Amino acid sequence: MFLDGYGPAILDGAWVTLRLALLSLCLAFAAGLAGAAAKLSGTRILVWPATAYSTLFRGVPDLVMMLIVFYGGQVMVNQVTDALEWDYVDLSPFIAGVLTIGVIFGAYFTETFRGAFLAVPAGQMEAGRAYGMTSLQVFMRILFPQMLRHALPGIGNNWLVLVKSTAIVSMIGLADMNFVADQAGRTTHQPFLFYMVVCLLYLCVTSVSSWTLHRLERRYSVGVRHAEF
Amino acid sequence: MYPLIVDDIHKSYGDHDVLKGVSLKAAKGDVISMIGSSGSGKSTFLRCINFLEKPNKGNIIVEDEKIVLKADRTGALQPDAVQLQRLRTRLAMVFQHFNLWAHMTVLENVIEAPIHVLKISKADAMVRAERYLERVGLWKFRNSYPAHLSGGQQQRVAIARALAMEPSVLLFDEPTSALDPELVGEVLKVMKGLAEEGRTMVVVTHEMGFAREVSTHLIFLHQGRIEEEGVPREVFSAPKSERLQQFLSGNLK
Amino acid sequence: MFEFEIITENFSSYLDGMWLTAQLVGIALAAGLVMAVPLAVMRVSNNPFLYRPVWLYTYFFRGTPMLIQLLVVYYGLAQFQWMQDAWEAQSPFWLLFREPFFCALLAFAVNTCAYTVEILAGSIRSIPHGEIEAAQAMGMTPFTRLRRITLPSALRRSIPAYSNEVIFMLQGSAIASAVTLVDITGAARDVYSRHFAPFEAFVFAGLIYLLMTFAIVGLFRLAEQRWLAHLMPRKTQAAH
Repeated sequence: MFLDGYGPAILDGAWVTLRLALLSLCLAFAAGLAGAAAKLSGTRILVWPATAYSTLFRGVPDLVMMLIVFYGGQVMVNQVTDALEWDYVDLSPFIAGVLTIGVIFGAYFTETFRGAFLAVPAGQMEAGRAYGMTSLQVFMRILFPQMLRHALPGIGNNWLVLVKSTAIVSMIGLADMNFVADQAGRTTHQPFLFYMVVCLLYLCVTSVSSWTLHRLERRYSVGVRHAEF
Repeated sequence: MYPLIVDDIHKSYGDHDVLKGVSLKAAKGDVISMIGSSGSGKSTFLRCINFLEKPNKGNIIVEDEKIVLKADRTGALQPDAVQLQRLRTRLAMVFQHFNLWAHMTVLENVIEAPIHVLKISKADAMVRAERYLERVGLWKFRNSYPAHLSGGQQQRVAIARALAMEPSVLLFDEPTSALDPELVGEVLKVMKGLAEEGRTMVVVTHEMGFAREVSTHLIFLHQGRIEEEGVPREVFSAPKSERLQQFLSGNLK
Repeated sequence: MFEFEIITENFSSYLDGMWLTAQLVGIALAAGLVMAVPLAVMRVSNNPFLYRPVWLYTYFFRGTPMLIQLLVVYYGLAQFQWMQDAWEAQSPFWLLFREPFFCALLAFAVNTCAYTVEILAGSIRSIPHGEIEAAQAMGMTPFTRLRRITLPSALRRSIPAYSNEVIFMLQGSAIASAVTLVDITGAARDVYSRHFAPFEAFVFAGLIYLLMTFAIVGLFRLAEQRWLAHLMPRKTQAAH
């Protein structure tokens, strides 16, 4: 039998992990762009909250944040449903996971994007404006593509850390591959085997990601001269 | 006794022969300038003397001690490690890019090798450091880091670092080529002073003024061979080889 | 809304948790750093018998979550008959693997070591070649060169990247509560289950981590001023 019959369950768990990671990445990307825009806006009422966001969420462990969101979020949901006299609503660990990981890594992406925006020389924007482009055109055609190129290594790094962070969502009961492996290990008395299978699955994801990122970096660094030794 | 004899050095990278039998003899107090266009092999030759490059053939004799060489699998000659380390302490090198140790202060750079290679006491090393840093005029900068000094100052520190080894021969690898033009003078002045003290020096250089005025012997290298050599003033005023004439007309405007 | 009494009442358990976290992180980091130095030297060597195993080690431990590494050590090894036999025989060494503290320490140290190896190896590669060449030309033996030039320079260059690693370790250590340890997060989980007050319990824990993070950032800033002065832009004529 394929892993004592637990093979399909582990693969299902892997699919949960992957969805969790990808959805969190989307959220983190959006939060990071918003955070970077706010930090670079120069308007104090935007800079301050964005700075607080990127500092606080990078200074607190993801697990603690997740416990706040999952257990604290449940309390808040209960208060709302009580007030509206609705039925009891369970906060799903999946949603709590996506929210937590997405918002935490949004803080890291804020810093990545901020640095990348700053790395684009001001002259590039001036040249765009000098040729009669609108602000939106300058942003979409000149600033954003170049920013992304500078941000690529940081994005890749954040993604690799994010993927590994998803493992902790099993601690609030999400049936990801880690959770399934835990169960399977207990029932079959082969915890080592199942944890190792999970390790290999993580290695697959991180390896494929690294390889893809490496390709992307080479492709998008066209026109960027590398330091020679 | 010659402080340094280099005999028939050959060096190739793959099929490309960089040095095709170059020799020199440095008597005590000799200042030998080596000139030539880039790619003539002059830097490679200098780096072969202390085995930063491994020659494929040839002999090096420092103060009558011949370096024992054995060919390795690739045909490059490998010196005996212990002997090589001893030899290198007698051939101090000054590099084009100074190569000061960035994490050490000026003083630490100068006392480092005397303490950890020559194994002299720290007190003795300090005496040497003061003497040679004063000699290059930088004792007051002893607690600065290299990155906080100008290029010319860094090169003078590098010279003090070489002098602190109290070597038999000083090797200079294009010591002013990486400097801004206005900083070249201070380094050349120090080198001229060393020559006048009677130190034995081998200098790879682009500074024709130095080669003509200061050195006792001039070697013109072309495509890995000695094209012409002799007393600097004679060679400069009446170059025999056509290549040297071309080279000098390009350089002496 | 926010009941401060819950925190004042349980303040001492938070303090105990802090002490445990500090021990775990401090010892793991120290052990990881000490092991990382020779491994980093192996990592940059030209000998495939030296660098390949180290590459494999860092590849595995940097490519998988630390939580799973911890679970493998604490729960996974019990799968093996020889381990259970050793426990049966009261072997003092193997009995350590039943101690959650030891297991967490081991997993954390091996994990941080893997990251530190790559940080150090990167720093060693970034040392300008000329500085190594100057050491050779001065007649230094390979060992003296390593001890006096390469490692001091590489360790200093690693400080900024290593400060991130230290912060990651502090935050990563929160998973220690998965193996029943009562670190800061563990203390918060206890408080939560006693009072059913998630905000108070976990927000306070988060605050402690935040303050510890700030302290680490501050310490590293001092360290950089002390040991990276040589790479910083020149100050206004310090020598005169």
